[in-house]
Amino acid sequence: MAAQSSLTLSSATFAKLSPHPYLLANLRPADASTPSSRTNGRQPTQARPPAINTSSLSHAHGSAVVRTGDTTVICGVRGETLATSQIPNYRPPLSLSLSLSSTGDASTPSASELLNYDLLVPNIELATGCAPEFLPGVPPTTLAQTLSTRVYSLLHTSGLLDVEDLRIYHEKSEGEDEDVGGEKNDEEMRDADSVDVPAREIGAYWVLYIDLLFISLDGNPFDAAWAAVLAALRDTKLPRARWDADREMVLCSRREPAVPLSISGFPVACTAAVFTAKERLKQSQSQGRRAGGGDAASASFWILVDPDRFEESLCDEVVTIIVDCSAGGDQDTKILGISKSGGTIVGPEVIRRLAKVAETRWQAFRDAF
Amino acid sequence: MADRRRINGPVGATLPPIYDSPPGSRSSAEKPDNAIRKIFLKTGVTPSASGSAYLELEKPNATGPSNTSLKLTCTVHGPRALPRSAPFSPHIILTTHVKYAPFATKQRRGYLRDSSERDLGVHLETALRGAIIADRWPKSGVDIIVTIIEGDQDRNAPESQRGDGWYTMNVLSGCITVASAAIADAGIDCVDTVAGGVAALVAKTPKSPPSIVLDPAIADYHKIYAACCIAYLPTRDEVTNVWFKGQLPGADVMLYNNLVERCLVACRDANRVVVMALKKTINAEQEVS
Repeated sequence: MAAQSSLTLSSATFAKLSPHPYLLANLRPADASTPSSRTNGRQPTQARPPAINTSSLSHAHGSAVVRTGDTTVICGVRGETLATSQIPNYRPPLSLSLSLSSTGDASTPSASELLNYDLLVPNIELATGCAPEFLPGVPPTTLAQTLSTRVYSLLHTSGLLDVEDLRIYHEKSEGEDEDVGGEKNDEEMRDADSVDVPAREIGAYWVLYIDLLFISLDGNPFDAAWAAVLAALRDTKLPRARWDADREMVLCSRREPAVPLSISGFPVACTAAVFTAKERLKQSQSQGRRAGGGDAASASFWILVDPDRFEESLCDEVVTIIVDCSAGGDQDTKILGISKSGGTIVGPEVIRRLAKVAETRWQAFRDAF
Repeated sequence: MADRRRINGPVGATLPPIYDSPPGSRSSAEKPDNAIRKIFLKTGVTPSASGSAYLELEKPNATGPSNTSLKLTCTVHGPRALPRSAPFSPHIILTTHVKYAPFATKQRRGYLRDSSERDLGVHLETALRGAIIADRWPKSGVDIIVTIIEGDQDRNAPESQRGDGWYTMNVLSGCITVASAAIADAGIDCVDTVAGGVAALVAKTPKSPPSIVLDPAIADYHKIYAACCIAYLPTRDEVTNVWFKGQLPGADVMLYNNLVERCLVACRDANRVVVMALKKTINAEQEVS
């Protein structure tokens, strides 16, 4: 492009006409004096600061609104009761005195109840007009289904919730009209009773419907969605409930204050996209040469943390890492999951660097709460 | 079907929580008859859409965590080209979608659109069609999507309410107001801004005579005889949509006309809020540029 031509385009037009060279020119400026940055002004490892608001909905037991840049998502958690008689393959757990499972191991009976009886129902709705490609009237797209499934599996593998909070008990002991909905002070009552007859059994469960709605989407839906789920669950308070055997239903108490859920851990997701200097078409043609690392220009790539919509459309490869630093102090950061797809550039070294970035992201989310 | 593509809950039926005692008494602060509730309206909440707006209605006697009772968001995408297979149309094709969020009302709503949402969509389309200058955009379509984040129901209302058909009127008037702000934010040519308002004929206590109330807070009244929701263009003094429901006691012949006249007052109040919000957006843009 001639420097003094009268046909110079504004940057917005340039971005629309040839997006890949535009981003490349920003990340690798021809002029050495201009600093390199992304098109939105951020550095490659700089993520958007999150803003979190909780308790905004009156008909939900817990709710949160999370904003990272222009991505806005609302999460509402509602509890509904499910009688054990309605569960087809219900089997009472072997021992009711299971305490909080801190390892989150899926093999413990606590986690398996949550999984087997479908007590957690997350769903992500993208078709709200949050971006021009997500209009209502069509069934959920692949992206929406993938996001819902990823949130679902992370909810279960992270061991965030304890099934003890979701159990609704039926007290069998005589003369007891105290409202108990699964409290720890039942230990004395159980010890006092004879071992033959169980003092209480599970009459019903709470089922948590976790619904996420995207008001606005500007890239990186998973991080925002997971943060909203975490914030809403921390905000959720379920009413005290007991199973009434005469009426065969669950009755909730209005007199007593609602009980918050016990959340163990604080997992935070950090996503990054990989931007390569060569465009997709040219990359496939030079596949063979890349392994040798001969051409320096073709091997250059940038890791863009917290990509926005423009960057996501130009990148094929995406890496997500989920960390939990809540142990703090001298304990190691826990990694709950690493997932990567779309290309072969990211290797163990990049993931190690990304884990460091994820720790700073964890701190940013922790401070936003 | 949608079932395969979403995470479904357990196969057994789940019930919402049922309490063993009735809810606490509602605070006796009454809403004034001739004023509408305060509206918070903001445009530009979805930057990637052509236009967007967010509306909240204040709740006068707030007991729960939030002090607003109706929350709506609207996004407008367009005008965009119609697909090639669509026949030629000399004017713009308006498509409206209204959807309740699952956590919006006391009863959990599913993800599939049901008949009440389709009904709201049709009313909204009729209300907006009269305001848009359709001839300027041949062979184009515009999508207006309203998401109801929280319906107008009162959390502590007694369970034996007369059905939520009356709440739908309040929701529709909010939808009309927020859609009109979003359309203006998108830059689609209109003859005027539409505003929605509701007026109802209610009996506040079992013994009081029927009286007309603007922007009814449904749970406060003993009995609602009739209600009407009107979409109004204030500068041109034109009505684009009327939705009237209920039975008027037969004694007074002019009762219907009075109800409609009072409803127009509510529409004018709502329109003032829309105009103020749009002026703020324009001023902010002028300061930036």
